[in-house]
Amino acid sequence: MSFARVRAVAGKELTVLWSSPVPYVVGALFQAVLAALFVDQLHAREQAVVQPLFPLAGFLLLLTVPIITMRSFAEEARTGTLDLLQAAPVPPSPLVAGKWLAGWLTTLAMLLPTGVLVVIVRWLGHPDRGPVIAGYVGLALLAATLTGVGVLASSLTSSQPVAAMVAVFGLLLLWFSNIGSGTLNAGDVLAHFSLSERLRSFAGGAIDTSDVGFLVAAVVVTLAVTALVVDSRRLR
Amino acid sequence: MISATALTRRFGGREVVRDVSFSVAPGEVVGFLGPNGAGKTTTMRMLLGLLRPSGGEGRIDGRVGYLPEAFTAYDAVSVRSYLRFMCRMKGVSIGDVDRAMELAGVGKLGRRPFGRLSKGQRQRVGLAQALLGRPGAYVLDEATIGLDPRQVVDARGLIRSLADDDRAAVLVSTHLLAEASAVCDRVVVIAAGRVVAEERPGAAGDLEARFLRLVGEAELT
Repeated sequence: MSFARVRAVAGKELTVLWSSPVPYVVGALFQAVLAALFVDQLHAREQAVVQPLFPLAGFLLLLTVPIITMRSFAEEARTGTLDLLQAAPVPPSPLVAGKWLAGWLTTLAMLLPTGVLVVIVRWLGHPDRGPVIAGYVGLALLAATLTGVGVLASSLTSSQPVAAMVAVFGLLLLWFSNIGSGTLNAGDVLAHFSLSERLRSFAGGAIDTSDVGFLVAAVVVTLAVTALVVDSRRLR
Repeated sequence: MISATALTRRFGGREVVRDVSFSVAPGEVVGFLGPNGAGKTTTMRMLLGLLRPSGGEGRIDGRVGYLPEAFTAYDAVSVRSYLRFMCRMKGVSIGDVDRAMELAGVGKLGRRPFGRLSKGQRQRVGLAQALLGRPGAYVLDEATIGLDPRQVVDARGLIRSLADDDRAAVLVSTHLLAEASAVCDRVVVIAAGRVVAEERPGAAGDLEARFLRLVGEAELT
């Protein structure tokens, strides 16, 4: 896979994405809702702790990342620009990797302002640095996985709203699969795939290699499947 | 060299392209004519590897410059940035951007975002991206659509020069019989999914009369 192509695709995607209102509007709403929910948690706990920030941010990312990624392949398929790239011919892997990278970087940029909330908590109390670092590592890895699922959903359709809905509901299933595990009497099998359980360890201050491995593997699998879908769309 | 050998494509049970065979040699411009829905675009997509043939084979030797009928790019990206992006996608030198822009007549539009171009300007950007890397073959679907008369004359001259000067194989789909008559060495006429004639175009008036007769006969059968 040519890294120059990946970088070119990511650069183009970032230009297109950041020249639209989507990241600004979605980012602003994300910060506002996250701040409101986090302050409410601090009031309820009457403690200056950072830990509640991460599951709240993680859950809100489930709803926002699909909006960032929905246009990645769906719009190119709808307008026909994907045909030009495939006739060039550009193999699917740099397209998929570039689009994923742009979506991930955009999501990380959206997470940056949440640092203000951490600074406020540090001003109010003296939270440990470890859980803050682990929590952000967890959020960054979760964002990578969510972006992978979002790009995959976008490759399945030429409709952006459909892509966003498929990704949101798919991610909700993954987030809550630990609950389904008990209800369906499926033991630990479904809980193993639960994104909320994976993030919980990070928020507790532990960077567990199995959690890191799971989230990285999820990115690799979603991108590999996306590449197969994009190639199969070409040769229908 | 561009070649179609018994290309066939079915959608569901319906055969939209049937046993289409023709070739375009280096240094030759071949017009691909046919009424709407005749199977021109489907055939071109199979040649480009964008659609799997149900039967037969399409082949293009070397790199291909492709201009789709409804060309579009990214509204927020400037013309020069877009062409540099396409160079990287095609794996050709970005030093070729200036040459392609000059040839396609968009030399002064480099900094303008694609979304702020007129229809004719967009079409010329499409032509510029097809020219990148001096491919040995071109597939141009309605290359002059949306251009003003002066630009049409320039574009026809450019298409002719690709074959004459660069020795490229050029396949041009068009609805304009005068264009086929002016630019093409040969025309392939397709109607109801099959090739009904392959010949030298002759004068525009003769071609028009013959085209209408061929299409009429094909649709009756």
